[in-house]
Amino acid sequence: MTSIPLTSPQGAPSDTSSAADGRIGENALRPDGTLKVTGEFAYASDLWMDEMVWGTTVRSPHPHARIVSIDIGPALATPGVYAVLTAEDVPGANAVGLEHEDQPVLAETVVRYKGEPVAIVAADHPEIARQAAKKVVVEYDVLEAVTDARAALDPASVQLRPSGNVVRHLKVRKGEELPTAAVVVSLDFEVGMQDQAFLGPESGLAVPAEDGGVDLYVATQWLHVDQRQVCSALGLPPEKVRLSLSGVGGAFGGREDLSMHVHACLLAMHTNKPVKMVYNREESFYGHVHRHPATMSYEFGAEPDGMLVYGRAEILFDGGAYASSTGAVVGNGGTLGLGPYRFPNVHIDCYGVYTNNPPCGAMRGFGCVQAAFAHEALMDALAERVGVSPAAIRKLNGVREGDVNITGQVIDSAAPCEELVQILLDMPLPAERSGADLLSLPGGVANSTHGEGVVRGVGYALTYKNVGFSEGFDDYSTARVRLQVIGGEAVASVHTAAAEVGQGLITVEQQICRTELGVGRVVVHPKNTQVGSGGSTSASRQTYVTGGAVKAACEAVRARVLAAAAQVCGHTADDLALDGGKVVARSGEVVLDLAELLGDAELFADEGVEETVEWRHRPTEAVDPETGQGNAHVQYAFSAHRAVVDVDVDLGLVKVVALDTAQDVGKAINPDAVLGQIQGGSTQGMGLALMEEIVVKDGHIMNPSFTDYLIPTILDTPPMLIKILEYADPHAPYGVRGVGEPPTISSGPAVAAAIRQATGKALRRVPIRPEHITGT
Amino acid sequence: MIPSAFDYHAPTSLDEALTLLAQGGDDAKILAGGQSLIPVMRLRLAGPELLIDLGRIDGLRGIEDDGDAVRIGAMTPHHDIASSALLGEHAALLCAAARTVADPQVRHRGTFGGALVHADPAGDMPAPALVLGAEFVIAGAGGIRTVSATDFFEGLFTTAVGEDEILTHVRIPKHTGWGARYEKFTRVAQQWSIVAVAATVRAEGSAIAEARVGLTNMGSVPIRAESVEAALAGCALEEAAIARACASAAEGTDPPTDTNGDADYRRHLATVLATRAVLSAAGG
Ligand SMILES: Cc1cc2nc3c(=O)[nH]c(=O)nc-3n(C[C@H](O)[C@H](O)[C@H](O)COP(=O)(O)OP(=O)(O)OC[C@H]3O[C@@H](n4cnc5c(N)ncnc54)[C@H](O)[C@@H]3O)c2cc1C
Repeated sequence: MTSIPLTSPQGAPSDTSSAADGRIGENALRPDGTLKVTGEFAYASDLWMDEMVWGTTVRSPHPHARIVSIDIGPALATPGVYAVLTAEDVPGANAVGLEHEDQPVLAETVVRYKGEPVAIVAADHPEIARQAAKKVVVEYDVLEAVTDARAALDPASVQLRPSGNVVRHLKVRKGEELPTAAVVVSLDFEVGMQDQAFLGPESGLAVPAEDGGVDLYVATQWLHVDQRQVCSALGLPPEKVRLSLSGVGGAFGGREDLSMHVHACLLAMHTNKPVKMVYNREESFYGHVHRHPATMSYEFGAEPDGMLVYGRAEILFDGGAYASSTGAVVGNGGTLGLGPYRFPNVHIDCYGVYTNNPPCGAMRGFGCVQAAFAHEALMDALAERVGVSPAAIRKLNGVREGDVNITGQVIDSAAPCEELVQILLDMPLPAERSGADLLSLPGGVANSTHGEGVVRGVGYALTYKNVGFSEGFDDYSTARVRLQVIGGEAVASVHTAAAEVGQGLITVEQQICRTELGVGRVVVHPKNTQVGSGGSTSASRQTYVTGGAVKAACEAVRARVLAAAAQVCGHTADDLALDGGKVVARSGEVVLDLAELLGDAELFADEGVEETVEWRHRPTEAVDPETGQGNAHVQYAFSAHRAVVDVDVDLGLVKVVALDTAQDVGKAINPDAVLGQIQGGSTQGMGLALMEEIVVKDGHIMNPSFTDYLIPTILDTPPMLIKILEYADPHAPYGVRGVGEPPTISSGPAVAAAIRQATGKALRRVPIRPEHITGT
Repeated sequence: MIPSAFDYHAPTSLDEALTLLAQGGDDAKILAGGQSLIPVMRLRLAGPELLIDLGRIDGLRGIEDDGDAVRIGAMTPHHDIASSALLGEHAALLCAAARTVADPQVRHRGTFGGALVHADPAGDMPAPALVLGAEFVIAGAGGIRTVSATDFFEGLFTTAVGEDEILTHVRIPKHTGWGARYEKFTRVAQQWSIVAVAATVRAEGSAIAEARVGLTNMGSVPIRAESVEAALAGCALEEAAIARACASAAEGTDPPTDTNGDADYRRHLATVLATRAVLSAAGG
């Protein structure tokens, strides 16, 4: 810890301490909650050091071009400018990336998407930096751009990489090669490019250190994977590149890749001054990856009663200019892309390709969101064909615990598909439309409808998602937990590198410490690279994996404390527990005061008891590249949604009047936080069904602003009935099941289904635009 | 984003404001509610060096009876228009449109004058002002002049108000007893109009005697749907007849194609919304 700069910037997180109650299963208050509501929470964009300078980025105006020359002279000559750097100034490897190191820190000879960073500028004022950036003269030789994923797949098209345009092609094969069925339904489906639309733009502050290294404060999802890439680009060892998490204003996958990280460090090391970089909103749209757009062709075969016989699918993800996590998204699309249903015979081809579109990568729901729109639309088509209800077809075909899924993996914990659907059926439907209340009508406060042309529809969706990293990835987290006496009180402190991005992880860490160590006050150490990796805050995995690590570290600490207590009090350690700041016997008898025990200098050193544990979930395995077979995933999380919509069919306007859901969360560590995740996730999925789309034309983003990229507001968001099931997964700590992503997957398809039911239209593309409904 | 640096003045008289404006030349801008100007400055689409805030000048805010018209000060916020009983009686269309502008915060800051001078094609106040035959009172170095509604909106974000002039008032001829409806189409709550239709109607017995119909965001300026107005004169107060009369609402328009909708869809919207607006304005 000595290497942390003496003066950390204003706005850098400090210890988060909370003495509030709240153990596992209780609604513990979030220590960051009040600050966020009152506007006092320091986000990464609030970082400040008096002597800092400002960095800005020069970006490519072309989706595909050769860089002929770069003249930094005029920019460098601007008074107030400290540095203008290009690819030549990258001391280490000019290649970063999550799965493939295929993305330059600064473009060298070619730019592959519009907005790609080409040069960076540091100046003593953001305005001067911006003005200077405009004076960097880049001469481009514009190349033909590949902006259609289908065309990219064609071997005759421009090949963007020496290895070709395919990032990954996953085949899943099971059962007969050419099965036949009495009933066959098929469809093509298209999903547009969704944005994470987090509110806090990419920002951070890099501070050069005396040891020749750098300290980077940044809003991110995974400090250690950032550190790895920054080290490689700077040519520095990990001990010289120290990262600290600063306040994160939302992430949803969009902060898994690097943005300004290396740029700020390069500028800081070059100028020997702290460098702050903050993207503006438009730049942010070019500065992070988005959800992959997908085109999909599906065919299901079934018995006359609707029992599935086979599923065929071709799924094509547009990965954009760089690989990012396209490979893993293809992994999910392939292994999970038929939905949580029993298929004896399976034939899937899932592709991710390079194009010159904006790079796509992680976003909440990761490969399952796109596929769910297709498989759920097709399940409805099947239901209609065989004459059963949408709910019945899902109950009939839903997977069950003990089933072998399409990749040959046994589903070895609860799979309550049937129950989830039944819960929705049992929930009350919203009342019929009441004409008086404008807010209840399509168009809401805007006045567009007073009931004219309005029809109602109801739609169902049932989906699932893998939790944690899959396909053999070494997925672990590290926790350091200490129990010590502070101010006469036994206090736990917990240090992990797992990013809190707004989901409530620090509350979970505190709840686990309170539960396992029987204390009230828990200090959460700022998240940084001074402790081992926590893994990514993605794949709904932190409560499971970092929760598992914190639990294991607490258990190790507790074992030492109880062993010491046993020496003092005559009970065996097995007969002792920690509760309410006391050592208590199983009988309930209070044996010792914990603070007194910890204060015993003969038993414990001053700093109390500390343990660091690296914790892993059960290993997964890579799937066979030709058949997709293998135990790819560690856990599945199931959810179902029922959407009720009112559609003004003359205008094409949709009002979602109810968005009800049931989800199995294994164990609700913090029930309020679970509700928050489900409400937010449901809304984000609804957004994709109705309006959220980055419109890309010839590689250019047409709507890089929150005026033109539409997001549902609170007035567009319906009330939600939410039923939580808690079927413990015996393999997971406390039985938890990831919560964050499932609702984002099932809500959108339910909304789309409801609109189809209301309008009678096929609607094979999302977002469903008004003109798709009116047909004009 | 943060706007580039600028100076700020808040004069207390119109003369002082006009003098500052003349001195500032091209680099000076009037600041009313700031609800359009500040966003535009933050996006760096404008970078005035001097802002002249009209907020401290007496007499620019308020709604008064002016004989055969209602006189509205340029600095009157949308909220006051939306809730004005006087306007409700004599120019209900303005109230209806103002109610659909953005959200309560914006309606309390943003002004009638600002919305008209800004002349955003998606803005909700220009079309109602146009069809109600507003007269625009403009002050400049040479004194006061009056511009009619037909001459006021010149193009995209451009009006008859010169760089060195200030809109002080707008006179709205009374349309006492006319029914009114402003139908606005947006995809999310509290958004800008993708298309909107302003209709105000004087009914006599079971027929429409006179109607005024205006279109928002169907071109670079607000448009009066004159063929619809003509077809509605004497039209029976029944849905089919009104729909027939409104079928030509989009005729001759050249609406934009953008991420919110293409031109054809906008024409479709204009037709549907015109029918609904007129029906509802006529009390149907
Ligand atoms: C989030 C948001 C949503 C919005 N949604 C809508 C909407 O749904 N519908 C809608 O119609 N509007 C909407 N607006 C815009 C709003 O109506 C503004 O109030 C209006 O467009 C401008 O009025 P203002 O008083 O804020 O003018 P300002 O922003 O202060 O000025 C606008 C322009 O007019 C000039 N100007 C202002 N007053 C005068 C004057 N008296 N004489 C000469 N020049 C003058 C200024 O110099 C400037 O160029 C929205 C605004 C925001 C911020």
